[in-house]
This record gives sequence, structure tokens and C-alpha cells, in this order.
Amino acid sequence: MTMIDTIEGNPTSARRPAASAVELTKTYGTGDATVQALDGVTLEFGAGRFTAVMGPSGSGKSTLMHCMAGLDTPTSGTAFIGDAEIGSLDDKALTQLRRDKVGFIFQAFNLVPTLTARENITLPVDLAGGKVDEDWLRQVTDQLRITDRLGHRPSEMSGGQQQRVACARALVSRPELIFADEPTGNLDSNSSTEVLEFLRRSVTEFGQSIVMVTHDARGAAFADRVVFLADGRLVDELEDPTSDAILEKMKKLGG
Amino acid sequence: MLRLTLKGLLAHKLRVALTALAIVLGVTFVTGTLVLTDTINNSFTSLFSKIYSHVDFEVRGVAAFSDQQGAGAVRQPVSDTLLGKVAAVPGVAASEGLVGGYAQFVGKDGKAITTGGAPTLGTTFGSKPELSALHPISGHGPTNSSQLAMDEGTAKKHGFNVGDRVTVLLPGPPATFTIAGIVRFGSADNLGGATLAAFTLPTAQKLFHVEGRVDSIEVAIAPGADKATVEHSIAKVLPTGVEVVPAQKVADEQSSAINNALGFFSTALLVFALISLFVGGFTILNTFSITVGQRTRELALLRIVGASRGQVFRSVMLEALVIGLLASIIGLGLGVAMAVGLEALLDAFGISLPKGALIFAPRTAIVGLAVGVGVTVVSAVSPARRAVRIAPIAALQGVQAGTEGNSLRRTVVGASFVLLGGAALGVGLSAPQISLVGLGAFLTFIGVGMLSPLVARPMASMLGRPLARLRGISGRLGRENSMRSPRRTAQTAAALMVGLALVSTIAVFGASLSRSATSSVSDAIAADYIAMATSQGGPPTGFSEAAAKTVAALPGVTLASPIYAGQAKVANSVTSITGLAPKDVGVTITLRMDQGDGTGALAGGQLLVDTTTATKDKLRVGQRLKVTFAETGPTTLTIGGIYKPNIILGSYLVGRSTFNAHFAAATLPLALLVSTSGVTSREMTTELTKGLAGYPNLTVQTRAEFEKTQEAQVNQLLGLVYALLALAIVVALIGIVNTLMLSVFERTREIGLLRAVGMSRRQVRTMIRAEAVILSVFGAVIGIVVGTGLGVALVTSLKDQGFTDLVVPWGNMVTFLVLAGLLGLAAASWPARRAARLNILEAIATE
Repeated sequence: MTMIDTIEGNPTSARRPAASAVELTKTYGTGDATVQALDGVTLEFGAGRFTAVMGPSGSGKSTLMHCMAGLDTPTSGTAFIGDAEIGSLDDKALTQLRRDKVGFIFQAFNLVPTLTARENITLPVDLAGGKVDEDWLRQVTDQLRITDRLGHRPSEMSGGQQQRVACARALVSRPELIFADEPTGNLDSNSSTEVLEFLRRSVTEFGQSIVMVTHDARGAAFADRVVFLADGRLVDELEDPTSDAILEKMKKLGG
Repeated sequence: MLRLTLKGLLAHKLRVALTALAIVLGVTFVTGTLVLTDTINNSFTSLFSKIYSHVDFEVRGVAAFSDQQGAGAVRQPVSDTLLGKVAAVPGVAASEGLVGGYAQFVGKDGKAITTGGAPTLGTTFGSKPELSALHPISGHGPTNSSQLAMDEGTAKKHGFNVGDRVTVLLPGPPATFTIAGIVRFGSADNLGGATLAAFTLPTAQKLFHVEGRVDSIEVAIAPGADKATVEHSIAKVLPTGVEVVPAQKVADEQSSAINNALGFFSTALLVFALISLFVGGFTILNTFSITVGQRTRELALLRIVGASRGQVFRSVMLEALVIGLLASIIGLGLGVAMAVGLEALLDAFGISLPKGALIFAPRTAIVGLAVGVGVTVVSAVSPARRAVRIAPIAALQGVQAGTEGNSLRRTVVGASFVLLGGAALGVGLSAPQISLVGLGAFLTFIGVGMLSPLVARPMASMLGRPLARLRGISGRLGRENSMRSPRRTAQTAAALMVGLALVSTIAVFGASLSRSATSSVSDAIAADYIAMATSQGGPPTGFSEAAAKTVAALPGVTLASPIYAGQAKVANSVTSITGLAPKDVGVTITLRMDQGDGTGALAGGQLLVDTTTATKDKLRVGQRLKVTFAETGPTTLTIGGIYKPNIILGSYLVGRSTFNAHFAAATLPLALLVSTSGVTSREMTTELTKGLAGYPNLTVQTRAEFEKTQEAQVNQLLGLVYALLALAIVVALIGIVNTLMLSVFERTREIGLLRAVGMSRRQVRTMIRAEAVILSVFGAVIGIVVGTGLGVALVTSLKDQGFTDLVVPWGNMVTFLVLAGLLGLAAASWPARRAARLNILEAIATE
């Protein structure tokens, strides 16, 4: 496939989405303490696209990500990564799926403190017992400007550098989809921009599919598409968003 | 602050339980030992009081050696003409003579009935029931020379009834008797597993070679008579060398003799209990260190809101106190249960104890609580002091737990402990003084424990390398985790280090003992066969000397040498003297002389001394020594030669004729050395076995077999010590479980992350296991190094005591290392499972 195809990919095209959810619900607690975190969410995340998930606190955006990434089990409904239906997988298969098909970037504590940056980046490949694609690794780390930091441990790096190492790890196994959960939540604006620009570039240049949960409109503007959640429901979406358009929508949602 | 501490404890039940478990085990062992020995003591004391309850006085020979008193003292029999004289003393209502000696029953299967170490007693059945401790429960006492009474315990166990015929092994030839009655001691069916054959007085006198004499006279006074007056009057009719003592004193002597024997047993068990508590101390120190580290923020926050340093210190100490108290109370309870269990176990091994109430002395509770709480609190001091040093500002900083480095102070203190310990060991071993040796080992262990963080990082890195290679990323992570906090790794490993150090010391000691024993057998014995009477692995019991004559008459036997030993006082200390016929030298026994002519000296009535004793007491050939014998009193013997230590002969040696001149005819041979005309063959063995068929208590072995038996005995002893040390190892393993558990909690987030990015459960388990294996092998390596050093020092210092060979059993050491690794794996199983089951979502959401 060419890069143009990937960029032009659109959710309604015949191409298989990177991930999808059908009537996904998630309920926490019982009785009076019941919380409906997800209330019948159906959506698709397009392959080779950068999708942002937004919504006010408690809207269910993190829960949606956790359920779709196989970290949490939905109460009902189905979720797919590529062709794989997550609900049908046991722990072993789920682990393999996360290792080979999914990349993660969390808000913090992304790295194992005892491992060097390089070891952290190659962790999913090492866990799979696979061989690291050195050229690819080099390309990614050069882009992220961390090639000279590969021998360092997390405690010897800045927050921005740590987050960039996490990006490299998410990308190195060329996963079907990267889930980023508030990846810039702990960063200053310079570092944030750097990380967001890289994510954007990896979609544009490498055809990577990314889903990013965020409540930062500026960050969401880097995406191809923004979906809005409120009270566990999909309420709105924007294609090729701008910051202002996003802020407008968010105001309506009361976030 | 108290509420806060208690709430904290409740919130960490699992951690508290694991920490406490180490102490619970130690206190259980201490309590169990004390309760068991107190109970046994009490039953024997009351048993003896009951046995002597109808007797007021005992008339007996004065102890032959004044520095030997009580029940074990050598005493001469008294003339039985005293019986009449004592009976005639006004105020004496009844009196009776007693004779005792060796009498061992032969079971219905033709095998000697053995007792597992308890004596096989022959005694008299008194004609006056009011004086007797023996009460027939069926039949009656023996009335003629062909009858005897048997104790109820033996009768029950081996199926004997009144009217049955039974063969008895005696100092002379074995004889067969009719069982006239079954008797009890007071109310007990047996006396601590001892067997008893009771004969009429004249029969006993003849069987035990004391015709015309009795060992003691039991006296009861008339009702209303004044005790002191009667005692005085009896004393007046007694010749010199004979004394009258209150029966209560005799009872006390008997029970205190048992108490002393038990005291050794109890001390040995307590030592092992203390070792495991010491190891438990390391576990507690470690747990508290880790939790103080993990609670840095919380403790700093307390400081910010106004808690003083003292309050922080007290809160940690209070936690220790509560845990210690709780654990000790549980330990006390379990200890009682253990005592009951041990009693049942001893019973199962044939060591029946007189039945008595379980004694739980206040002292037991005090000692158990003091030791348990003491160890816990002392171990918590250092972590508590570290907690005090936490600055309030730490609450606001992200302090990572467990990354502290090595302090110079710690190194200096640790090194001084090692040096001090080494010095104490050196002095203790050369003195020799066992308590100094113990103190030295204790200090060395603490010192090594303090120093080991220095090598923890490089060692863990080195030991982890093969794992990282074999197990890939999981192995590498395990290795990295074990290198993360050298102090934690070292402290966790220290507990196992102590256990393995002791195991290795024992291994070196045992292997050297075994080899020395074997080589000393071939150095000492020239005979082809050795016959000895043993009771289920117990010490040699002596056997009928008629057996020696029987063997000597067998075809093919060129010489049968009975080896006799008796007690005498040589140069102010009571010791054992061996008697040997001069013609035996070089034929059945090997005597390697350093100075003088052995055979000549023995034939000439002179005394031979072994090199060790000669060096120690500065004795030389030609010197005259004062030797006091029980039967014949003081005499002077000339030292005719000095021989190299010999396992069979002991320190002093005299000719057979000299021996016979000074010892009673009832003295039993301990071993029979047999030389034959040919080499040892199956036919000869059969011949000997057949010839000794009448003496089923005797076992005939070729020299090679005998060597193997010696070795087996050493190994049996070693097995017992290993089993007791296993307790310390278990406690150390609990420490490893505890550390791993705490580490897993501490790294919840990290494990969650690893799982999220694709680590399988199996890989998580492998990671934790790898860390455990590195931890335990690290502890084992240091322990084995320290232990081997201790063992070598120990064996070297015992060179003069017959430890001629120093053997370091490298094969065993490798086994210990592998075992330690496997135990580490086992210890990891629970924490590993726990880590693998972590809910990923909760783990990564944990703050």
C-alpha cells in the first residue's frame, strides 16, 4: 500500500477499521452505587488515521479505551482489534494481542525503571522473543531525537524524553493500533508539542493508526477526527478538527 | 499514634502475618522444648518419689570418687552381713538388700529386646512388699532361682505372660527363667523405656557376681520412731565406706540425674530454636526496613503535621512490639501442641515416658514471650532509626523506595563485627569454650550480614547472568530487580546465609568426622571381626563375657580379645581406663607407640597413655601416677609408654591382669575383637554368627562393615542436625517470601505496565522466580563460604581430639547450592502467582 492510500483511508470505505466497538456497555458497582461508564457505544477507529477521543471527566473515554485495548472487559457488546474479537480471547491470547497488535502510551509511569531506554523500547519485541528491526528502531529514535539517550535509564531522563521513549516503544513493533491515554498530560507545552507532532507524523508518514484519549483541545486538533463522549455515550464527532471547533463542541457538552 | 499504628497493622494483615510467622516458629520451638522437658522432668521426679515413698533410708557404699556424687557415682557393694545388723537397730521396722546389674531379655523371636538407649536392668524382687517399688499386677514375685518378674511394659510390648519361659542375657552365660509375675514401678508400667528383670536376692547376687554382698539396703522405720535418732543409730553400726542416706535424697539424686541428661537434650533443642529466632530476626529487620522505605511519604507527612521524631520512632517500635507479642502468644500455644506431638513421636520410637500431666511452667511463658518480643523489637530498632531520619520534606518529593546506597559507617561496623567474631571464635576454639564459639559465630554472621550489601550488586549481576541468558527478558528483569536494592537483597539473603553457613559447617565437620572415624578404625583394629552389643543405634551396652569364651573356642578363631573399660580416678579426674591382654597387641589391636614398649609395659603392670592426654597433662614415660580405683582404692602406676590415639582404647590403657586386679568381676566387656586363621570369608562369618546364636544382643561385623557402621552412625547424627537446621532454613524462606511479596506490592504499577505492553503471566512468574533464585543462591554462596571457613576452623581445632582428616565435601556444597536455588523457586511460587494475577487496569491506575 502506498502512503497516499493510508492517508486517504476513510471510516466508511471498504477497508477494515483498525478497531471497532459494537454496542459496548460497561457498568461498575451494584445497586445504588451503579455507575454506567459506557452506555451502548458503537464506533470504528479507521486504519491509518489519528483519532482523538474527548469528553468531560467521567464521560467514559478512558473506559472505552481500556475495553477496546483488552485491558478491561466490557459488561456487554463486542470490541475488535483488527479481526480479533477481544471478548473471545483468554488471558494468554489477550496478552499476545497487546504485545503484537497494540501499542500503549500512558500519561505517566510508562517505563520500567530497571531497564535502559533501548531495553524499554524493545520490551514488546523481547517479550515476544522476536528480533528487533534495527533500521526501523533507528529511524524511530532519530525522529524522536533520543538515539543518544538509548543507554540511559528512565531516572536519568527528563519527562519529555521519557514520554518520547514510550512513543518509540509503542511504535517499534509496528502495531495495528496505538492507544495513547493522555500522553501529554504531565508535560510542559514544548514537550507536548514535540510528542503530538511525532504522533501526527507517524500517522502521516508511516501509516500508523492511533487513538488518543485527551481533554486538551489543542492536542486533539492534531488528529484526523475527534469523537466526543458524554455519560458513556457517543454524542458527536468532528472530521479534520481545529482547536476552535473542538472548544466549541466541548462547551456544548459542558466539559 | 497508637491508633494509627494499630490501623496500619490491620491494613497490612498479610505482611504482618508473614513477619510474625518467623517469630511464631521460633517461639513454638522454644516453648515446645521447655514444656516437653519440664513434663518429662516432672514425671520422673514424681515417679522416683513414689518408688521411694515407702522407704525411709538407704544404706549404701560411699561414692568411690569424692568428686562424683549422685546417681551416676561409682559405689562399692556392701557386705550382706550388714542386713542383719541394720535390721537389729531399734526403730527399724523392715530392711532389705538390693542388687542390680545387666540383664537383657530375649524376645520370643530369638532377638535381644533393645530399648533405644534406656538401661536393661536386672534387680532383686524384695521379699517385703512394703519396701518394694515393684508391685505385681499379675502372678507374684520370684520365689526360687528359676523364676523372675518382668516389667509390665516389656510384657505388654513383647507378648509375655505369667508362666512363660524367657531367656535373659547376663554378665555370665545366658539363662532361661519362668515368669512368676508381671510388675509395675510404683504406678508406672515402665521406667522411661528401660526393661526390668527382678530375681530373688540370692539369684541376683549369683548372676551379678556379688555373692555375699548387696548394692544397697532399703530401710523403713517403725511408726512413731524418730527419724533422726534411727538414722544416727544405723550410722553407728556401719563400717567405714558405708553410709546411710534419707530415701528422699536418693530419689532426688535419681531424678536429678535424669534431669541432667534431659538438660543436654533440652539445651541442644533450645540452641536450634535460638538459631531460627536469630534467622527470624533478619527477616524482621528486612521487613521493617522495606516497609519504612515504602512508607517514607506517609511518615514524612506525619512529621509535617507535627509528629515528633520520638513519636515516629515509637510508632515503628510499637508495631514491632504488637507483632512480637501476637506472634509469641501464638507460638506459646503451638509450642504446647508441639510438646504433645514430640511426646507421641518419642513414644512411637519406643522411648516411652512415664505418663504425667503436661507442665506449662510460668517460666516457659516468660521465656517464650521475652525471646519472641525481644527478637522482634531489637530487630526493628535499626529500621525505626532510619524512619526517624526521614525529613518532613520527603513527603513532597518523589522518593523511590529501597535505593539507598552503602554507607561507610555500616561497612566499618560490619567489618569490626567480623573481626570481633573471628577473634572470639579463635579464642573459643583453642580454649576450648563452646559459648565463646557460639558468640563468635553470632557476631560473624551479623558482621557478614552487614557487609554483604557491598557485594550484593556485583554478585546478583553475576549470578543472574545465566538466568538472563536462559530466560530472556523475564530473566533479565528478575536480575535487574535483584540488583535494584543491594541492601534489601543482602538482608533477605542474610537469613538464608546463616542457615546455610551452619549447614555447611556441619557438613565439613561431619565429613571430617566420618573420614577420621573410618581411618581411625583401620589404624586401631587389626582384627578381622568386631562384635559389639548395641541397642538400636545407642551406645555399646556391654555383653556377657561368656560370649568371649564361646567365640575363642570356635574353630578358625586364632584370638578373641574382649576389651574392658572401667572408671578410675587418674591425676584428680575420673576417667575411663581400658584393659587389654598384652598378647592382643599386634594381633587384634594395633598399638602405635610414640615412646616405650607397649606389650612389655602392659605385661609389666604399667600404665600406657595416649599422645593427646600425655601432651595435655605433660606426662612422660617413667613418671609415676596416682590412680584411684573404686574397688581397691588408691595405688601408684608407672607410665610405661605413650601411644598414638586409638578409637577403641581411649586415653589410658593397662594390662588385663592389672585391670582384673582393680575391677569387679561383674565388669562387662564392651567389644570383642576376633582374629581368624584365614581371611574373612562368608563361612567364617556364618560360623561366628552361629557360635554367638545364644547372645542375640551381639552383632558380628567384619572390619569393613564396622567402618561402615561408624560412618552410618555419624551420618545418622548429621541427618538429625540437618533436620533441626531445616527449621532455620524454613524461617529464612519465609523471609524470602515476605521480601518478594513486599516487592511485588511495591512494583504493582510496573508489573501492570509490563502486562499491558505484552508480558504474559508466565513471563511475570519467571521474572519473580528469577529474582528469588538469585536471592537465595546469593545467600547460599555467602553462607557456604562462611560455613566452610567455620567448619575448617572447627575441625582444625579438634585435631587433637581425633579429627585426623579434614574433608570439605564439595559435592555436598554444590547440592546445597542447587537446593537453595530450588527452595528459592518454591518460595517464589506464591508471590509469583500473586504478581501474575494482578489486575492490569487496577495496577496501572494505582497511584
